[in-house]
Amino acid sequence: MGGIHIKNKWLPYVLVAPTVVLICVFKIYPIIISVVQAFLSKDGAVTLDNYKFLFADKTFWNSLKVTLKFNLMIIPIQIIVSFIMAMLVNTHIKGIESIRTILYLPFCVSLSVSTVIWQMLLNVNNGVVNSILGTFGVKPIGFLIDKNWALLSIILISSWRGCAYWMMFFLAGLKGIDLSVYESAKMDGSGFFSTLFRITIPLLKNTSLFVLVANTTANFLLFAPVQIATEGGPQGSTNLLMYEAYKSAFVYSNRQRQACIVTILLVIVVGICVIQNKFMTEKEA
Amino acid sequence: MKYRKMVAFGLTAVMAAGMTSGMTMTGFAEEDKPTIRWVSQGVGETGWEGLTVPILEKFEEETGIHVEAEFYSFNDLFEVIETKCASGNADFDVMSVDVTYVSKYGSSGYLEPLDPYFTDEDKAKWDEASYTAGVWEDTMYAAPENTSCQELYYNKTLLEEAGIELPENDAEHRLTYEQVADMAKQAQEALDPDGSKGIIGLDFQQVSRIYQMNMLPNSMGGANISEDGYSLDGVVNTEPWIKAMTWYQGLVNDGIASRGYDADQLGDMFYSGKMVFMVGGTWTRNGMTCDDEIDCTYAPCFEGYEDKVATSTGSWYFGINSQSENKDAAAEFIKYFTLGEGSDMWLSINGDVPSRLDKQEEIANDENATKDMKIAAYEAANTAYPRAVTPVFGEYSTILDQAWEDVRNGADVEDTLNYAVEQFDSAVASYKQ
Repeated sequence: MGGIHIKNKWLPYVLVAPTVVLICVFKIYPIIISVVQAFLSKDGAVTLDNYKFLFADKTFWNSLKVTLKFNLMIIPIQIIVSFIMAMLVNTHIKGIESIRTILYLPFCVSLSVSTVIWQMLLNVNNGVVNSILGTFGVKPIGFLIDKNWALLSIILISSWRGCAYWMMFFLAGLKGIDLSVYESAKMDGSGFFSTLFRITIPLLKNTSLFVLVANTTANFLLFAPVQIATEGGPQGSTNLLMYEAYKSAFVYSNRQRQACIVTILLVIVVGICVIQNKFMTEKEA
Repeated sequence: MKYRKMVAFGLTAVMAAGMTSGMTMTGFAEEDKPTIRWVSQGVGETGWEGLTVPILEKFEEETGIHVEAEFYSFNDLFEVIETKCASGNADFDVMSVDVTYVSKYGSSGYLEPLDPYFTDEDKAKWDEASYTAGVWEDTMYAAPENTSCQELYYNKTLLEEAGIELPENDAEHRLTYEQVADMAKQAQEALDPDGSKGIIGLDFQQVSRIYQMNMLPNSMGGANISEDGYSLDGVVNTEPWIKAMTWYQGLVNDGIASRGYDADQLGDMFYSGKMVFMVGGTWTRNGMTCDDEIDCTYAPCFEGYEDKVATSTGSWYFGINSQSENKDAAAEFIKYFTLGEGSDMWLSINGDVPSRLDKQEEIANDENATKDMKIAAYEAANTAYPRAVTPVFGEYSTILDQAWEDVRNGADVEDTLNYAVEQFDSAVASYKQ
């Protein structure tokens, strides 16, 4: 069959080079530096002490626990909600383009700005959310200062923006499914749920795998809402590992500790992504 | 011929005028004016950003050195300095240094030693405490901008409306925290019985920051950190800290002190007439637009601990970025702001407690000095309690700031303090080695 024939065999490499260079400089190089630094003492000698101190540190273990808990909640929430949003806007009614745009708008607001806005909305003293709840007789809730609510509030803030983003990937996946498949299913008497679980979800496998891996990575590395809204509190209930790494580097000036935490995060994220990938691929086989 | 001479003379005059107009008083041509960058805190017109404008203009007028100032919020400044300095950034020359960070920045090589720029005569112009706080391991790294003291501010109008009269008090017979809390509660009940106006009874301007909050346990005889600067065990998990934090938590639980506002917001609550009593500092009055409604008195003490009154102290310093390429100009700026005319202007504009001995003496002898400054001068000499000295101040501050905030939000006091001890032990383990 046809396809584009490129005469110059170097052209593809030249076109890809800028991206490769940028990835190497801004992603690969810092990763290597971090991994290496985690095994160096402040004097530059090779040591395992950095990990020894980290593993003896209760704050680290608490932070790891919070990070896992956070991700166990936020990843399914974001994926399910964004998938439902994509299903809802994957129709052909008048004005659907505007609705899609409106649903996508939260992603156009930067995470730090949206956090500040939500911080005001959720304020215990004069926030809009508490004012509305107050009209129903609900006492003010310390969304960002109560340890039972703070992590959920961070999930809400991140998901408000995140779901809009992941929705677009699911929507693109849904658009890629041939309508004739649905028509055949309908003719065979397939209902909504049967079509959803037997046709839509299986055909969105590649999209779902990408969203799952990318979403996991993004949420394990989440940082801004915690830094802006809670600073890891109350009582360490939102102290995600990424924020702990940030504090180690920029507040404690302890680059070795930061390097260890970042390396551990890297291992966790890669491990989870490999498992996810394997799980999805095995299912396909 | 005559015409040609006149033209030549005219051209020469124009050229000469052009050359001289490019010179300043100190001889820098316009295009050669050095520009230095100062990284500091206090964003906004009422913050340092606005207050220092006339000083920077005057400095440029006097010396021809232009100062480009970058202002950040209090919390952000530490991260900015850390980020810039750790990467060897030379894009700024002068930094504002919180007194507690002098040892850390000095030992990390972020600050240029100032000894070559300040003579012994210069150094003798500051009080001993202020000068030595800028010294780490016999090297002067930072010069004091001013120092600070704590006072109890109150809204006279609100108290009058509530029908509450403040009892007579002075340095020897202070109000107690318990008394102030009672009056604050009474005022709230009279002015805002259903809480709909959101009036706060008593609070601390720098809430959940050890700078101000630690004066509570200090006022019961509690220390800030172990003598070697590496432990909180036996220091914060002790009776003074437990009692002080429990008292403060009770204040919050009773609705007298606030929850949910941070240190950047509470001052505004007081300034806007939404708070009856506020423990503030000598800088507090600068943000006020309602001076006639506000008055101040000595910081309170705890009942039964009248002989242990403690007030927070220390303030901001100036240092030179060790990577700066304009160290001479930076030093000139620091000298101007800490000892020269800039210092006079700053003390007058910001109303802070001077570190300069001549200015302290001026206040002591000035019958017309404000009440704030008279009180501050007394507290500086008699009740000022030094902050924790530790090269791991970042960890110390982060852990205890969070402990105060957690207790404010309802955490069990003893558990919180024990957790703080554990956290600090873990955090400093690698440094102890």
